[in-house]
Amino acid sequence: MNGEIAAILAMDGIASGAIYVLIGLGLVLIFAVTRVIFVPFGDIAAFTALTLASLETGGRPGTVGLVAVLAVLATAVEATALARNRAFDRLPRALLFYLVLPLIPAVAVWFAAGTTLSMPIRIVLSLALVLPIAPLLDRIVFRPIADASVLLLLTVAVALHFALSGLGLMFFGPEGVRTKPLTDAVFDVAGLIVNGQMLLILAASIVFCGLLFLYFEFTIQGKALRATAVNRVGARLVGIRPTSTGTIAYLLASLLAGISGVLIAPVTTIFYDSGFLLGLKAFVGAIIGAMVSYPVTALGAVMVGLLESFTSFWLSAYKEVLVFSLLIPVLLWRSLSFGGSEEEEAEE
Amino acid sequence: MTRLQFHLVSAAGVLLLALAPALLSPFSITLMNFIGIYALAVLGLVLLSGIGGMLSFGQAAFVGIAAYATAWLTVKAGYSPWIGLVVGVVLTGLVAAILGAVTLRLGGHFLSLSTIAWGLATYFLFGNVPMLGQYNGISEIPPISIGGYALASSNSIYYLIWVFVIVSLALSANLLDSREGRAVRALRGGQVMTESLGINPFRVKLITFVIAALLSALSGWLYAHMSRFVSPAPFDVSVGILYLLMAMVGGMAYLSGAIVGAAVVTLLKNSIQDWLPVISPGASGQLEVIVFSVLFILLLQRARAGLVPFALRWLPRVQPTPPIASGSLAHRQQPERGQPILNVAGATRRFGGLVAVDNVSFEVKAGEILGLIGPNGAGKTTMFNLITGALPLNQGKISFLGQDISRRAQRQIARAGIARTFQHVKLRKTMTLLDTVLLGTYGRTSSGFFAGVLRLDRAEEARAQAEAMRQLQRVGLADRAFELAGNLPLGNQRLLEIARALAADPALLMLDEPAAGLRAGEKAELAHLLEALRAEGLSILLVEHDMDFVMGLVDRTVVMDFGAKLCEGTPAVVRSDPRVQEAYLGGVA
Amino acid sequence: MKNSIVAAVVAASMGIATAAQAEITVGFITSQSGPGSSIGVLYDRGMKAAIEYASSVGAEKVKLIQLDDGSDPSTATRNARKLVEESKVDLLIGTSTAASTSAMVPIANELKVPMIAISPISVAANEAGDRWAIVMPQPPTLMVKAVVDRMKRDGVKQFAYIGFSDAWGDLVYNGAQKPAEADGLKILTNERYARTDTSVTGQVLKMMAAKPDAVLLGGAATQGALPPLALAERGYKGPLYGTPALLNTDFIRVGGKSVEGVQVSAGPVIVAEQLPDTHFSKKISMDFRAAYQKANGMPTSDGFSAYSFDAWLVFLDAAKRAMATGAKPGTPEFRVALKNAIFSTKDLVGTHAIYNYKPSDSYGVDERSLVMVRLVNGQWKYEP
Repeated sequence: MNGEIAAILAMDGIASGAIYVLIGLGLVLIFAVTRVIFVPFGDIAAFTALTLASLETGGRPGTVGLVAVLAVLATAVEATALARNRAFDRLPRALLFYLVLPLIPAVAVWFAAGTTLSMPIRIVLSLALVLPIAPLLDRIVFRPIADASVLLLLTVAVALHFALSGLGLMFFGPEGVRTKPLTDAVFDVAGLIVNGQMLLILAASIVFCGLLFLYFEFTIQGKALRATAVNRVGARLVGIRPTSTGTIAYLLASLLAGISGVLIAPVTTIFYDSGFLLGLKAFVGAIIGAMVSYPVTALGAVMVGLLESFTSFWLSAYKEVLVFSLLIPVLLWRSLSFGGSEEEEAEE
Repeated sequence: MTRLQFHLVSAAGVLLLALAPALLSPFSITLMNFIGIYALAVLGLVLLSGIGGMLSFGQAAFVGIAAYATAWLTVKAGYSPWIGLVVGVVLTGLVAAILGAVTLRLGGHFLSLSTIAWGLATYFLFGNVPMLGQYNGISEIPPISIGGYALASSNSIYYLIWVFVIVSLALSANLLDSREGRAVRALRGGQVMTESLGINPFRVKLITFVIAALLSALSGWLYAHMSRFVSPAPFDVSVGILYLLMAMVGGMAYLSGAIVGAAVVTLLKNSIQDWLPVISPGASGQLEVIVFSVLFILLLQRARAGLVPFALRWLPRVQPTPPIASGSLAHRQQPERGQPILNVAGATRRFGGLVAVDNVSFEVKAGEILGLIGPNGAGKTTMFNLITGALPLNQGKISFLGQDISRRAQRQIARAGIARTFQHVKLRKTMTLLDTVLLGTYGRTSSGFFAGVLRLDRAEEARAQAEAMRQLQRVGLADRAFELAGNLPLGNQRLLEIARALAADPALLMLDEPAAGLRAGEKAELAHLLEALRAEGLSILLVEHDMDFVMGLVDRTVVMDFGAKLCEGTPAVVRSDPRVQEAYLGGVA
Repeated sequence: MKNSIVAAVVAASMGIATAAQAEITVGFITSQSGPGSSIGVLYDRGMKAAIEYASSVGAEKVKLIQLDDGSDPSTATRNARKLVEESKVDLLIGTSTAASTSAMVPIANELKVPMIAISPISVAANEAGDRWAIVMPQPPTLMVKAVVDRMKRDGVKQFAYIGFSDAWGDLVYNGAQKPAEADGLKILTNERYARTDTSVTGQVLKMMAAKPDAVLLGGAATQGALPPLALAERGYKGPLYGTPALLNTDFIRVGGKSVEGVQVSAGPVIVAEQLPDTHFSKKISMDFRAAYQKANGMPTSDGFSAYSFDAWLVFLDAAKRAMATGAKPGTPEFRVALKNAIFSTKDLVGTHAIYNYKPSDSYGVDERSLVMVRLVNGQWKYEP
């Protein structure tokens, strides 16, 4: 291996790492606020890519059906819960949030299908369409068991991934898609060919990490999210509602996943089930950050990208084996450096 | 239902199983074979996750290791499947021991995440090793033969599979009813309690992990020789999750849940496959996954405990047989009254900048009750944790019966003869009172996993049971020996903890606020009990808030305030000390 | 058909073995979910076309029972047993992944049911030396041999290989080794990538460093285009070769300019309309396309669906001869007769090949079953 190859591999690794960063940050965000390890998170990214691709070819994306089904289910769950508490006055609000709002982009896309849209509009529509999925799933699946142990939530999340991949197959079909590149630009930097798409991925990743930071530091909502993450009971005591912070966390994280989906769609072929491995690799990053630290997660995700890139050169067949085996020493190091602070697990 | 009736019902069940090939259609037997093979792997998962509390998504990887081992040995090297069984089991055990040694120190969900990681890594490894046929797998695996008779058909391997299942189930049940099995059942919910009883939780976890892997190995061996073909897909993490689903459907905390879960999920899958095309032609494949996942999620949301506990409510309970008292465990020779038994010299513990215990020294003499008192935040509980080894000392020295225990692990201190109770009661709610107290005898008994599984431990077990019943009697709970600990009121739970501590036959009994939450009558009974124990020569260190309770009971008192020792002496001396009055009684006097 | 399935289910769930039916029953397994479903769906459509084309043997109607294996070998074996033990099928046809198909073969051998494999696998005889399964597709070695021979004709001396890290990637690489040696070609690399990978830059750099005259692609469908794209990006200008697995519209759409000129071996059905009228495949392939259009409401140009179609043709031909022996469908005698008839198939013209099966071999096609095609302006062009 010479310096040039190393440089190319490094760039490639950082670019895929940048995608994992966005997804990894979303995972940490959701976990911190809701204690759910949201395994199907990669699916959200994959669904965005599939939606974008089908808008591009003038088709009607399967996401419309998916969102409609979820919105109806969530509304039903919420309405039953309200009816049980005899809180009928809150019904219109529930209808607005769980039925009307998620369906607006779906209806828009329904009518837009077949017409040629410009690229920015396609991207915005795809994001808007995908955003409600995670919060709706939260309402249907996780909120009824919000007080369960982390392990139970994890198991449910894993099952949810399988349901979603089944739904993905039903709504999107088995074929993979790849969208047109966002940019065709190619740069020659000191003899290295750098394509614009890669730079775009990097830039987007950095910008959104920055925005996330600003959001946490300088907005009330961001601070409320952080407070909930640090102390759920305390946050509730000062009037922060855990359900609404949960929804915000899911929305925000979905936005990150959606953007990574948009970015990755022109680089590789995305299938209905591509999200799982994507999510898992981001997950390795998130675990390096112990599911709490945003900067370490970002660093970890970039490391995973680099490791992948270099092993694909040296030993391509064993790439996945290496990436997932790496997790074990990382976990060990994590558990040793946090040793002694192990809290007593709740009995069940 | 008596025990005899239970055995009769079990025997009838086994007979029905034996007759099944004559009664059922060939495909039903095929399904039964799959159920049996799944049940073995799920049984391991129940032991590991449901009972031991270590949730694993990677069980399918162990099934795969054994399946591939036997496939390679029989196809590529031409050995008999029985050699394949031995090698498969040994190899799986070794891999599990190494993986366990590395990952079992991880806590809670990190452990589970690591199982996803090595589960995936193993899957990709199977798919990439040329020797193992890569993603094409290994085909033409020979059938198992017994005495020259090849078990090639569904009907013939059926018996082998179910013999394995029933034997494994019986041995697992034996295990849970033994000394080490109780330790496994106590793992769930934190290590401090198990350590305080002299149990090495890491060792117990590791052995449980290996046992679970071995059960998976049996499953894998049978799978390879039934399917006659192995490839990576049946050993993927998604299959590990299917096993988890089976365990949860059946009932994670029940061995029988493994069979019930495997059966329900397999049959349900089969009938979903039959009905979905009828309901919705064209989309059946996708729907199957969705229907399954949704059912799983609903189950987790609504009925976490699974089907077995639900069914148990309607079935007659098996009457427990009270233990026959035979023999007794060896008792410790208590040190001579008045001898120093525990010596704390200059103990110091800091948390960051805060000095929680500051250069405290005192002594406990054999046969006395020493009270450790002080206002909230005085450092009493920290002192307690320093003595029992739950926290390491920063400075100073603690010696017990003449030995330095300052650097020893919690369980070693427990084994040396210090038994304790907890301020927040630490009991396993689903264990009976008898089993709870039997846990206390762990350090005095020695039967290992092997003896427990094969019932070689019965003589010692009978002695331990006699001892446990004696201690239950002593705290007045003997008539409720077979009730669940979680069903007791708080006061009784405290007494149960004392019985558990006494079952360890300690030289020093350390009680952390034993009177908290007790009614006046219960307090008097507790005081009686402690006085009786003192009369027998036991030394007691008592941390307590209730001044009346302490002062009426103790021989001497050590008073702490702001981490330092304020004074020491008989209740009368301490009571009259103006510093104590100011610090403790808030200067009322 | 639905009612009979229901009846079978009810009977089976009550634990009663169903009586042998008089009509011929065929069990068909394909993947409609999981990673194998993109091909599995095509097999399904091909079978629909086959039924549209002909659904009876003489006067006897044929009943088809179809099950999904979810791309999982365990499910495939369970389904195979179910079809044989419960539905008493006379023939098994399946399935869309090589691993699942391999897993079905021991069941066919054990339960003594003839089977037609529609994925390219190698089949062994059972302990008694009997074969119960034949394989429809061209053996991968043949597919790759045709390509390697073409490379030699084109003057390639050494080539680099990149393929999927799955069974298919293994088959192509292993298949290339022998003809490459025979033709005096050198294989420089054995690079692998996963279907879900986002980048093959590392692999491509390694291949480029080896300075190949040509590149052999062992990928399939859409993701097969990932290496050509990366190669083009890194300035590779040499020729590309591939297998029939690349015959896919998404491969062309995604690959764009970078896959232009790629040459792959293919069953003649792929370029049916370009074949000369004298070619054996011309008429039957055009009939197949018409039937496909009618059954599925869409045109086809893929080769996979044609495998199920050909499997059906082989079955119909053999069933006619098996019926002539007087054995009753649903009985073990009929299955033996059907097996013997299948293994004595002679010069049966299908869309992919002229099929000849012998009891000693599960493959029944020869070099005539493959033509070379080149991608020109997004269309596959017949290149004799």
